[in-house]
Amino acid sequence: MDVETMKVLAAALAIGLGAQGPAIAIGILASGAMQALGRNPEARGPIMTNMILAIAFAEAIAIYALIVAIILIFVA
Amino acid sequence: MARIGLWGRIGIIILVLFALLIVGRLLFPLPEMPHIELAAEGLFSIFGFPITNTMLAAWLTILVLGGVSYAATRKMKIVPKGLQNIVEALLVMLINFVEDVAGKEYGRKFFPVIATIFIFVIANAWLALLPGFMFIGIGEEQVPLLRGANTDINFPLALALVSFVFVEYWGLRSQGFFRYVRKFLNVGGLFRGIGQLFRGKIRGGLSAILTGVIEAFTGFIEIISELVRIVSLTIRLFGNMTAGELLILMMLFLIPWVAVIPFYGLELFIGFVQALIFGGLTLVFLVIAVTPREEHE
Repeated sequence: MDVETMKVLAAALAIGLGAQGPAIAIGILASGAMQALGRNPEARGPIMTNMILAIAFAEAIAIYALIVAIILIFVA
Repeated sequence: MARIGLWGRIGIIILVLFALLIVGRLLFPLPEMPHIELAAEGLFSIFGFPITNTMLAAWLTILVLGGVSYAATRKMKIVPKGLQNIVEALLVMLINFVEDVAGKEYGRKFFPVIATIFIFVIANAWLALLPGFMFIGIGEEQVPLLRGANTDINFPLALALVSFVFVEYWGLRSQGFFRYVRKFLNVGGLFRGIGQLFRGKIRGGLSAILTGVIEAFTGFIEIISELVRIVSLTIRLFGNMTAGELLILMMLFLIPWVAVIPFYGLELFIGFVQALIFGGLTLVFLVIAVTPREEHE
């Protein structure tokens, strides 16, 4: 395989594998938030805010992978 | 005009969208591939100091924020009206958020920096969504004249450094030099253990040395985590904003005019969340730094 092919493959693998962890994390987070919502529907506001904050943290890891993929394709 | 049912309206909207799509394709042919550059591009230089497009955008943000503040505070009244009312309401929301986390006493002290970070990041993110950013090229290579300041890695890095310096300053100031530094350089237990060993208490000395080594190692980990915060804050903001910009560029390129609208909404939301996270994380780090460690001797 030549270098160009490897680069494209590496970028695809980087974002593809890097999205797995955050996806699981966001799933767990949302499930926890739904359960909390079911038990205590009045706490909708705080649950929503904190869930979105935590999701943004999990999402940041996917963003790191995305940066690596972008750098591989456009810069390296 | 005859009454049209719900499905009829949806059909008309879809038809109009398709018409816009086709008209857009016909009237505005797009280049082969959008121009993508990760680093900010220099437009011109003053005395060898390059002025980049992100820098221009940051100055534009400063001008806008300064203008709004000036207009809001020009004729201040006890009972606010109009713009002053809006700005005051927003600031009260922010100050409530800060005081909820940091408490009344420290909240007032931390508020200026947290609010500055939050407002600057969110203004940068939202201004970058205005038409004109990224799409006005100048020069031979069509370098975009304006580009959101958050998408230049130097800007998040500078903010993260400001946040880091501020956190360390408040940690030192509120706890005193020696108590704050002991969090990072905790070798007291180790020396005590060695002392006990020399005094002949072999068993007690050895166990004290073991806990001392663990404490010193914890301090080392604290140093690392303190430094990693800078990198993580930087990359989080830079990555989110760059990814959003690329997403909008790609969507504009794939289907002009129509497909991009939901993504603008998404970017509005992400800009808000990222500003909240940058400010909120700085706030949490500050609270951690000023909270005294529990002593267990």
